[in-house]
Amino acid sequence: MEKYAHIKIIGLACGAMLSVNAIAKEKVADPYESFNRKMYEFNESVDHYVAAPIANSYKAVTPNFLQTGVFNFFNNLKNFNVVINDVLQAKFSQSASDMGRLTMNSTAGLGGFIDVAKHVGLEQNDEDFDQTLAVWGVPKGSYLVMPLIGPMTMRSCPASAFDAATNPASYASIPANYISAPVQFMGALNARANAEGALKFINEAAMDKYVFTRESFLQWRKNLETDGKVNMDDDLMSESIDDASLTQNWRDYGKQFESTAQSFSSVARQFDQTAKTYEQASHKIDQARTSHTK
Amino acid sequence: MRLKKLAILTLSLSSLYATSAFSQEESATARQIIDKFQTELIHVMKDGKKLGYAGRYEKLEPAVVNSHDLPKIARIVVGKEGEKLTEEQQKKLAEVFTRISVASYAHNFKDFSGEEFVIDSEEETKNGGVVIHSHLNIPDDKPVKFDYMLKEKGASWRIINIIANGVSDLALKRSEYTAILQRDGFDALISQINEKIDNYAKQ
Repeated sequence: MEKYAHIKIIGLACGAMLSVNAIAKEKVADPYESFNRKMYEFNESVDHYVAAPIANSYKAVTPNFLQTGVFNFFNNLKNFNVVINDVLQAKFSQSASDMGRLTMNSTAGLGGFIDVAKHVGLEQNDEDFDQTLAVWGVPKGSYLVMPLIGPMTMRSCPASAFDAATNPASYASIPANYISAPVQFMGALNARANAEGALKFINEAAMDKYVFTRESFLQWRKNLETDGKVNMDDDLMSESIDDASLTQNWRDYGKQFESTAQSFSSVARQFDQTAKTYEQASHKIDQARTSHTK
Repeated sequence: MRLKKLAILTLSLSSLYATSAFSQEESATARQIIDKFQTELIHVMKDGKKLGYAGRYEKLEPAVVNSHDLPKIARIVVGKEGEKLTEEQQKKLAEVFTRISVASYAHNFKDFSGEEFVIDSEEETKNGGVVIHSHLNIPDDKPVKFDYMLKEKGASWRIINIIANGVSDLALKRSEYTAILQRDGFDALISQINEKIDNYAKQ
């Protein structure tokens, strides 16, 4: 495969989508929802049948210390990009700290496998070119789901090409071509293995996984852009839904809650008992089936 | 006579103390509401395995109801779609929303491995609300930032929104609930919420 082909593909795709976006209306939250949902389903299938089994096998056979080491290694390589973006965002003090982190982990941390910087109080910062573009005033544009890559925005699409170009992991093919594929593969595997917790949470909590992922992603990116600053004048909080505007029905339920609370508790208690009954019934069916077969 | 006066004084003081204790309970500050709620969460986490899902649900139910303004949150998360609901549907939604709120806490805060909530600061918003900034320290892991947005309700305060590591629970739920209401209708929304509650109870 041609060197840095993945960077070029992202760049080309982003270029095409950006030109489309130029005529898209800013006010529409998710103008490509139909396309995005299809891509989301495609990515879910790929994850279910390919990525998840490989990542689960990797987690099962790899000792924890080695998984942590691999995570630290790729995280350390990412810090080249973090330092560059610190400077581009004029965060000079933070860039000095991140440079120290990178140097310390690359040397005393045995090439990044051990995160020694954490133990001397140099915290990991999260910066990328998308955040830099946000600081420079570039609007995020519409939400996009890219095949195999996942959630993005029109702005983060070209930004990720820049990030890939400034990550040493992308240049693993320079010393010898045969180590390029394993390094890229390990990077992807490490990322998937570390996303397991978040994916499990989405499966448990989301009622519409596409919407849940989109909103979480956009809010998470916004949080990174603002360095964790909370929007004190949240639009939803500002809504004029005061007690008077709540209809009597909404409020009645609140008042009646104490009297119904007891019945909810007993229902909750019965869940455990019902689950046990089902389990016992299932066991009996299995036994009956076994004896019938004999 | 002197004894009678003393008895009256004692009685008056007792009733004054009782009234004061009651008003303290009624007129808690936003910070006190969060502190009490987080303390209860940690207690439940510590006994999480012993209590089981049902026990955690039972313990957390009053804690969640007394610290969150659930009727208001239920109204906000359905947005303008809420205006189209009948009285019966509004009651039903408020009921299942309360159940899923308690159920998700009972499911997600199930065990304890040394976690600790710390309140960092407090800020007033322009629209008369208060934001309590706090974080959850997790051993051998990154802390999780919890920002609680509260609004005054009577003489006390109630949580309207929780922002965990920058992700607003209110905005997330509103996007999901309105999307399902618009696409599939009210019955489908209730059915999906009930399904989530059942799954939380089973896991």
